Amino acid sequence: MNVTASASDTTLDKNLYLPRMATILAVEEMTAREKFFRVELSQPLGHRPGQFVMLSRLGIGEAPISVSCGPRDDTILEMVVRNAGSLTQVFHGLQPGQKVGVRGPFGSGFDLADLYDKDIVFIAGGLGLAPLRSLIQPVLAQPDRFGTVTIISGCRTPAEELYRADLQSWSHKVKVIRLVDKTANLPWDGQVGLVTAPIAQLDLDPGRTVVALCGPPVMYKFVLMELDARRIPHSQIFVDLERRMKCGVGKCGHCQINHVYCCQEGPVYRFDHIEHLPEALQ
Amino acid sequence: MKPKVAFFDFAGCEGCQLAVLNCEDVLLDILGLVDIVEFREAISETAPRFDVAFIEGSIHREEDVERLRGIRARSTYLVALGACACIGNVQARSNFIAPAENFKRVYGEVDRNQAQTDPEFWPLWAHTRVRAVKEIVPVDFELRGCPMVPAEFVHLVKALVSGSIPHFPANAVCVECKANENECAFDRGETCMGQITYGGCGAICVTNGYRCDGCRGVLPHANLAAHRQLLREKGLSDALIQNRYRLFCSAEPLGQEIRR
Amino acid sequence: MSTFLIRKDAVPDWIQRLARENAVYFPQRAGQSGFRFEPVQEGSEIQFEQYHPTIVPPGKKLAPAGEVLFQYRREGEDAVVEPVVDASFRILAGVRPCDLKGIDLMDQANREGCADPHYLTRRANTAIIAYDCLTPCDKACFCDATGSLRCRKGADIFLTPVDEDVLVEPLSERGLALLAGANFPICGNVEARKAKAEGGRAKPFGRQFKAPLQQIPGIVAKQWHSPVWEKHVQQCFSCGSCNLVCPTCYCFNVQDDFDLTNTSAGQRSRTWDGCMLPNFAEVAGGHNFRSHPADRQRHRVKRKFEYLTKRFEEGSFCTGCGRCGRQCTAGIDIFDIVNDLVDNTEATS
Repeated sequence: MNVTASASDTTLDKNLYLPRMATILAVEEMTAREKFFRVELSQPLGHRPGQFVMLSRLGIGEAPISVSCGPRDDTILEMVVRNAGSLTQVFHGLQPGQKVGVRGPFGSGFDLADLYDKDIVFIAGGLGLAPLRSLIQPVLAQPDRFGTVTIISGCRTPAEELYRADLQSWSHKVKVIRLVDKTANLPWDGQVGLVTAPIAQLDLDPGRTVVALCGPPVMYKFVLMELDARRIPHSQIFVDLERRMKCGVGKCGHCQINHVYCCQEGPVYRFDHIEHLPEALQ
Repeated sequence: MKPKVAFFDFAGCEGCQLAVLNCEDVLLDILGLVDIVEFREAISETAPRFDVAFIEGSIHREEDVERLRGIRARSTYLVALGACACIGNVQARSNFIAPAENFKRVYGEVDRNQAQTDPEFWPLWAHTRVRAVKEIVPVDFELRGCPMVPAEFVHLVKALVSGSIPHFPANAVCVECKANENECAFDRGETCMGQITYGGCGAICVTNGYRCDGCRGVLPHANLAAHRQLLREKGLSDALIQNRYRLFCSAEPLGQEIRR
Repeated sequence: MSTFLIRKDAVPDWIQRLARENAVYFPQRAGQSGFRFEPVQEGSEIQFEQYHPTIVPPGKKLAPAGEVLFQYRREGEDAVVEPVVDASFRILAGVRPCDLKGIDLMDQANREGCADPHYLTRRANTAIIAYDCLTPCDKACFCDATGSLRCRKGADIFLTPVDEDVLVEPLSERGLALLAGANFPICGNVEARKAKAEGGRAKPFGRQFKAPLQQIPGIVAKQWHSPVWEKHVQQCFSCGSCNLVCPTCYCFNVQDDFDLTNTSAGQRSRTWDGCMLPNFAEVAGGHNFRSHPADRQRHRVKRKFEYLTKRFEEGSFCTGCGRCGRQCTAGIDIFDIVNDLVDNTEATS
């Protein structure tokens, strides 16, 4: 790997717009739309769960992508990229050995210490499982530090399920509820229904339960209604929001929700901090 | 494998193909990236399939419709090249005039009457309406403008050879006027269509002291009611406004709307 | 630092002398009624009397449209990435207080959190010669209402017209250095001259809000479902002009490009963007968080008077320069919007 950022006359020692180059180690097709990428950086990313990176292919462009692996000491970074546009289409064509640019990590992320001794419910809709995996991994790695863990993961059809092997292996340690909206005539060993459905059945102690929530904008309203019905305090609900981002550092303005920048104070928010911010969830 | 590219012309002046040839500083580079298999303006060759077919010109006759459908079936991507293909352009003004009346205006009554008795001309009277390419077949990308903008053509070629998708923002011409620090045409006492017209041209007309006449077509979010009211306030008669809107956009909803 | 006093007609010569050795930008006529900050050349017209705010503010020289962030060269899969940072020296002369305020706010925004090296390097290498306004530029300006009229921050030299003379006040070491060799006479009675200038300042100075500035953020913050937003987009074209000419709009878009001749080399650049443009708040998958023009108008106004004022503890992120209203072909004026919000609060409270 050979990246040189020549020192110029800048009065600032660090240029926040310069990507570091990373080598693709593995690309796996997860679904028709999503691919899993494992890349190797020149130094550990040093991220917190829930943070994101700006991933780029030089000459094509750059986009925010959630980190999908827990914090780690080595130089590995894992991500899920959905083919949803010009740039991600190019990412989907990349092969192991090719290089991508990485900036970050950016955003607030989750603080593991906030979750110690708490019961944790993860609720993921579709691609929302990718960022939540960065929190599920460290939580499951130290079971003694946390209470009961429940993972609810939903998607539209069995063909769209992400991280099936991970979900199955997690189910040996903690309660995992896998759902699809419809089976679409495909084999399916989980439940059929929306991610909101199992919430009413969970054994929850509102005093010690923390919920981590990530999914498409339409999902939040209904899940939050269910959590209200279970009297989970809003200070114990964390939501992971999606916005368009061009810089990752609170400059370009695209991710601004009222006075907060999703790339700075977010994308993970404690729900009581944003519930009165219009435009945050819809 | 270099993408196979073909150019086809329908009713238009072939100025957009000339504009491609006039990308002199980059044309050789482009030819290094793509394989041009059909290009009447430059070479003559035919191929059974293309990766990208560029369609220049508007569609008038039934036989043109059939030819266009055939090209669409043979192409992975189809690009409307220039205002004629994208929005019908000035010739679509004839949509509001009966063909026989139009013929009379151009060639005079004597020739018109003679032509009406000549079977060779009969297909001409059958043509009813000038259409944009998108009205007949799905269009993947539009290179707007009269003529098309070389920078956008280059952007499209780059995107296609690098496996990405070309992106043409749906922003008004005003965005580029501001980037160029142009004095607004309205501040010069002009009336301009920049606010409701697709940018991407670099606001070339206003930058050079003229106004925008809307050759790149009407934006999907255009506030037409406000624009018409503004032109009226600037003293334009409804007839003049109609003329202005119909100049390039007769085949577009804007040009047609004013007729109602 | 000493303050100097020179005849008004000595100023053009001085600016011309500076321009022989430096890149100096000064507001020059553009078209029939506009002004643009353009490089001063031999024979350029240097005058202060006939002026109204330039089409885009001088701060845009510090964040030009389409500026390159870095260039790259790929060798195989390896890449050499080199930042492009403009450290050339320039002088912005004839900057008015409202635009000083705009540059100060841009400085704060670019310094906050992760510092923006491209902007700040340009800023560090930009000297500003400002010129006071004793009369409002035109009917569109409202710089006194937003508290910008008396802004001196960021100026290296401040010029104040007093009758047929001009007070030349260096406000920084760099300003003093620019005056070295000019041999301007020192002004003996600075305070008296300043008081005289102040006495000649128009009162009231331009348009005033219907409520004191300190109350405006609170008034704006209270209104989300207000009919005012809808009222002020009836004629809106969503053309983004108001954003693009604003001295405190700094949103941008980033794009990559590669060379046609050598496809393994290219660059990443950024260009001006604006929250009034229809697709600004669209996310992957197509959901648009501000799909209606009224949503966008509300965001723009709240950004100026609520969001950023809260973030940076400033009285107003609108400088009152009046450019957005002046440039809007639909006649939408942020001054009117604010006053309507004031009225609406009183009507509903």
